[in-house]
Amino acid sequence: MNNLNRFGLPVFILVMAVLPYTLNERWQAVAITFLVFSVVALSQDIVLGKSGMFNMGQALFFGMGAYTTAILNNHFGWPIVATIPLAILIPAIFGILLAGPIVHLRGDYLLVVTIGFNIVFVQVLQNNLGGVTGGPNGIFGLDSLKILGANLTSQIAVYYFAFVVLLLTLWVMSNLEKSKPGRALHYLREDQLAAESIGINTRVYKIFAFGLGAGIAGLAGTVFATQYAAVSPEAFDFIQSVLFFSIVLVGGSSIPGVMLGVFVMFVVPEIFREFATWRYFVFGFAMILAMILRPRGIVPATFGKIPKFLIKGGSHGA
Amino acid sequence: MAHNELILTNVTKRFGGLTAVDDLSMKVQEGQIYGIIGPNGAGKTTVFNCITGIYKSEEGSVNWRGEEIRGLTPYQIVDRGIVRTFQTIRLFSQMSVAENIMSGRHIKSCQHWWHGIVPTPGKKRDELDNWKKVEQQLNFFNLSEFAAMPAGSLPYGIQRRVEMARAMAVDPTLLILDEPAAGLNDKETMELLETIFKIRDQGITVLLIEHDMDMVMEVTDYLTVINFGKQIAEGTPEEIQKNPAVIEAYLGSEDDDE
Ligand SMILES: Nc1ncnc2c1ncn2[C@@H]1O[C@H](COP(=O)(O)OP(=O)(O)OP(=O)(O)O)[C@@H](O)[C@H]1O
Ligand SMILES: [Mg+2]
Repeated sequence: MNNLNRFGLPVFILVMAVLPYTLNERWQAVAITFLVFSVVALSQDIVLGKSGMFNMGQALFFGMGAYTTAILNNHFGWPIVATIPLAILIPAIFGILLAGPIVHLRGDYLLVVTIGFNIVFVQVLQNNLGGVTGGPNGIFGLDSLKILGANLTSQIAVYYFAFVVLLLTLWVMSNLEKSKPGRALHYLREDQLAAESIGINTRVYKIFAFGLGAGIAGLAGTVFATQYAAVSPEAFDFIQSVLFFSIVLVGGSSIPGVMLGVFVMFVVPEIFREFATWRYFVFGFAMILAMILRPRGIVPATFGKIPKFLIKGGSHGA
Repeated sequence: MAHNELILTNVTKRFGGLTAVDDLSMKVQEGQIYGIIGPNGAGKTTVFNCITGIYKSEEGSVNWRGEEIRGLTPYQIVDRGIVRTFQTIRLFSQMSVAENIMSGRHIKSCQHWWHGIVPTPGKKRDELDNWKKVEQQLNFFNLSEFAAMPAGSLPYGIQRRVEMARAMAVDPTLLILDEPAAGLNDKETMELLETIFKIRDQGITVLLIEHDMDMVMEVTDYLTVINFGKQIAEGTPEEIQKNPAVIEAYLGSEDDDE
C-alpha cells in the first residue's frame, strides 16, 4: 500500500495529464466521464467510506450542481466558469439542510430517507419546477467553456477542466486526512459512543461530511453539464446513487480503490460494448464476488497518516 | 468556589421497572482516588453513565465544580474536564494506537471545520503540537513501540493502556475508570497501580470502579459501596473492611460465588 501511495499517485497523474492526446473523440469522452464520476465517487467516499453514513442519494447533489450551472448559463447568461461558486455552494447548503434532521438515523433508515430525497429531486426536475428545469427533456444548448476570453470548444479543454477538478478534489481529501475534522469522521465511524465520550460532537461532523461531499459532487455536476452542454433528469436518478454507493463499497474507502471502482463500473463497460446487456450481468457477479472475497473493499481504507517521529523501531504497519 | 468537586445528590436512574441507581449520594473531592465497589449488577457502571452524560438520571443532581451537569451531552462533559474509560474496551479498533490517542486531543486542537478543506500555517503547527502531546502519552504509558499498530490487533492489557492514554490526552481534571484492572494479569495490575498513583500525583482526581478487592484497598483513599443501586456504606478502605453490612453484602457474596 505504501508504494502504491508514494509512486502510484504521481504516475497516475502524469499519465492522466497526457492521456487525451493518445485518444480519439469517443475515448476522450469516456475519459472525461471517468474523471467526473471519480470526483462524485470520492465525494461519496467522504460520507459513506470515511464517516460510515449510508447515503444513497449522492446523485442528487451531483445533479443539483449540474442544474445550477445549466440554469444560470441558459436562463441568466452567466459564463460557465462564473457558475462554479454557486454550483458548489447550493448543493453544499442543501446537503447541510437535508442532513440536519436525518444524521442521527441508523444506517438502514438513513439509506431509505436519502433514496427518498433523490426520488423527490428527480420528480421536481421532471415537473419543471418554477419553469427553469426544463421538465423531462432538461436543459440543452449550454455555452462552451470561456476562460480569459478564449472560447474553448474542444473536448480536450473539457478534459482538462475535469482533470483540474479531480486534482482539486484529491488535494481537499488529502487535507481532510491530515486534519481534526477528517479524523473526527473516522472516529465516529469506528465507534460513535467512544467518539462522543472523548469530546467529539458527532452530529456536527456528520453534517460537515454531508455538506463537503455535496459541494464536491456539485462541482463535478458543473463539469458534467459542460461536457454534454446539456442536463436532463435521468442522469441523476437514484440508480446512479446506487452505483456510486457500490463503487465505494466494492473499491474500498481509499483513493485507488474508489478510482478502480469507477474504472470497472464506467470504463470497462465501454471496452466491452459489443456484449451489450451481458456486461451488467458480469458486473453484478463481479460485485458479489468482490464483496465476499474482500468485504472491506478491493483496496481497503488506510487510516490517517501518523507523523514519522512517532514510529519507533520494532513497530510495523502504518 | 472553584473546588474540583463532584457531588452526586439523590441520583436515581431507572430502566423500566428496574431501579439501577437508587437515591445515591456521594462526594468526590479534589485530588482523591475514589473507589466505587459492589457486586455484579449493583449499578456501578450506570452511575458512571449518569455522570458522563450517556444516561440522564431521572432524579437528583450531578454537580461538578459548582455547575449542574446532569442533562449535558457526553462531549459537553468532556469539555468540562471529565473523561472516562469503558468496562468493555471501546477503542477505534481499525485505527492506529497513535490515532486513538490523538482523538483525545480533539477538544484541545484549535482547528476549525474549514481546516478539513484548506490548510493554513496555523493548522500545521496545531497538528504538530498535538502529535507531540500524543508522543508524551505514548511514552508515559509505554506504548511507543505500538504507535503505528491497529489498536484492535493488540492484547487486552495493552488495549486497556491505550484507552487510558486516550483519556489522559484530553488533560482531564477528573479521570473515570470503569474496572481498569479487569482482564489484567498480576504484573499488569501492579503497573496499573503505579500508573494511577502517577496520574494522581499530576493533580488529577481519579474515580474508579473495581472488582479486585485487594487492589481497591491498596489504591483508593475513599470508597462507596453500592448494592442493588443503593449506597450501603462509605468510608476509608480500613473503615469499609470492618463494616459488617459490606462484609455481608459484598465480601460474603463473593465468598459464596467462589
Ligand atoms: N441500558 C440498560 N437498559 C436496561 N437495563 C440496564 C441498562 N444498563 C444497565 N442495566 C441494568 O442495570 C443494572 C445495573 O447495571 P450496571 O451495568 O450499572 O452494573 P455494574 O454494577 O456495573 O455491574 P458489573 O459489575 O457487572 O459491571 C443491571 O441490572 C443491568 O442489567
Ligand atoms: Mg459495570
